[in-house]
Amino acid sequence: MSNGTLIVLMAVLFLFFGYMGVPVAFALIASVLLITAFTPVSLASMIAQLFNGVDVEALMAIPFFLLVGDLMTSANVTVRMITLSQTLVGHFRGGLAQVVTIFSMFFAGISGSSAADVAVLTRTLAPEMSREGYDRAFTAALIASASTMANLIPPSIMAVVYGATGNVSIGGLFLAGVAPGVVVGIGLMIYSHFFGPVGFKRKRATFAEFTTATKQAAVPLMIPIIIMGGILTGQFTPTEAGVVAVAYIVLVAIPLLNRRHLRNLPRDMAFTGLLYSIPLITIGAASVFGWMLAYLRGPAMVSEWISTAAGGDPFRIMLLLTFLFVIVGDFIDAVPAIIIFMPIIIELTKNADINPVHMGAVIITTLAFGLITPPYGLALLMASKFVGIKFSKAMLASLPIYVVFFIAIAFTIFFPDIVLWLPKTFLPQSVGCFPNPNGTGYICP
Amino acid sequence: MRFDGLVSQEQRHLKWRFLDPLERLLMVLCGIAITTFSVLVVCDIVTRAIGHPWLWLQETTMDFFLYGIFVGVAACTRRNDHLYLAVLAESMTGNRRLFFELFNRFVVLCVAACMIYFGYLNVLDGFKSLRMPSMTPLAYLYIAIPICGALIALFTIEQMVNGWRNGFPDIPVDERRKSL
Repeated sequence: MSNGTLIVLMAVLFLFFGYMGVPVAFALIASVLLITAFTPVSLASMIAQLFNGVDVEALMAIPFFLLVGDLMTSANVTVRMITLSQTLVGHFRGGLAQVVTIFSMFFAGISGSSAADVAVLTRTLAPEMSREGYDRAFTAALIASASTMANLIPPSIMAVVYGATGNVSIGGLFLAGVAPGVVVGIGLMIYSHFFGPVGFKRKRATFAEFTTATKQAAVPLMIPIIIMGGILTGQFTPTEAGVVAVAYIVLVAIPLLNRRHLRNLPRDMAFTGLLYSIPLITIGAASVFGWMLAYLRGPAMVSEWISTAAGGDPFRIMLLLTFLFVIVGDFIDAVPAIIIFMPIIIELTKNADINPVHMGAVIITTLAFGLITPPYGLALLMASKFVGIKFSKAMLASLPIYVVFFIAIAFTIFFPDIVLWLPKTFLPQSVGCFPNPNGTGYICP
Repeated sequence: MRFDGLVSQEQRHLKWRFLDPLERLLMVLCGIAITTFSVLVVCDIVTRAIGHPWLWLQETTMDFFLYGIFVGVAACTRRNDHLYLAVLAESMTGNRRLFFELFNRFVVLCVAACMIYFGYLNVLDGFKSLRMPSMTPLAYLYIAIPICGALIALFTIEQMVNGWRNGFPDIPVDERRKSL
């Protein structure tokens, strides 16, 4: 059988197993093991690759960013951030919808997980939105869309996976995600203002109320400063920044804000220990799949097609990749998608001379959009389930919001200078800048 | 310290009670793994900051991280807590449903069998390679794969036997989805 046939067969087997209900990690491994039988590669080396795929130091950041979000949620500390968001934007038209977006931006700076964001918002703000007469389909669509910012605004688990597998600076990716994250946030606020339900009219919070809310939220809001401050000053790697944030929550935030929760910590640790194994075994399995794909010369074939179709133009290449990832993101989860397609991304990035951090920001923004698109829009699936509305209705309500994401993706592609401004300013070496031999600043290509 | 509720009560009819202590043990091990490697990363930062780095810390941290993953995967299998694309089998009924539920688990069982056998071959091969700086054979890490495979096989057989006897439940599809 030709390589092309084997690749198609492997993809079909994976989708068949996956959609029948075999867990993603096992569906990936099973499809690769079956295809391996038609190649001279040994099955033992494929199983070893499962191990090698997770034996990557940078991936250790993932459990910490999950743990940060989980501890903050289970200790009920996030309510203080919701109160602060209400004092900031609660008086706007569609006040609670604005609060959802602002809170998600704050929470995105703490947790790298959309799932945690959806869980918090559907538990806290969704019931209040229902009482104020917000359409439940709109509520689910908005919460799901806002939760995608967790993957854009640092710390982002997608950025960790992308950086670790593509050998791209994770700090640079974190900073490059800020601009598209803010565009999505502002876009959702504009959409909610003009096209969302009106909600109750609230009085603008007084300065005293705002000050009190800020004081109360100060402890959790220190976490983004710790994480990004540590990385930007070069004190910590992303993994270390994650563990310092966890230590801060366990030693400072929970004792100060919810001391009684300390006795639940062992249980929280056990569940997070379980939780991190889910994405990581999928990463291991996806790396097996990606290895076989590379062995069958899949990346070379696809990148050749894309390069030919785009005529070597970097913007066209990014647009075609975006198109590819919108489709891919509809069917499979972002983490395996990044790992499986990483060889293709690397090849195209190199051939078209695209900045790897810029390419990473484009891919991550596109995959974040995939979290609300059917049939595998996981954030939307979770939000519709927790809000108690049919997925099809939530999906219809989310269709106009797609425009916000199209704008964010286009912005990320066509304005690299703005997207890369933060990494160039704070982590110049992450985007390929090198120190000026004169000793004054950096020279950026 | 509170460890109550560590054993999932969902899909109870697919589980043997005598395996509950094993699930609880795996959950505790998950907690120990993440706690230990968190503490070790903190120690790494501190020892480096005071100018006396302990070189073995990074290697040991990685060991706990990797063991944690494979222990967690085994626990996830018993709790049916994996990441799913979709569960079309759950929209079916009767014998068709039984066939596809068993088929899905058969696929998992085959993968587990490969993890046991080929993982064992990797363990044997791992005695030839050493991890730095402790000089311990890589085999001690690779052994997590066949152990994980054996546990997955055990829990999958448990579900197949009980599902065959009692039928598979109609739990909502979305409830079983997990993602980042």
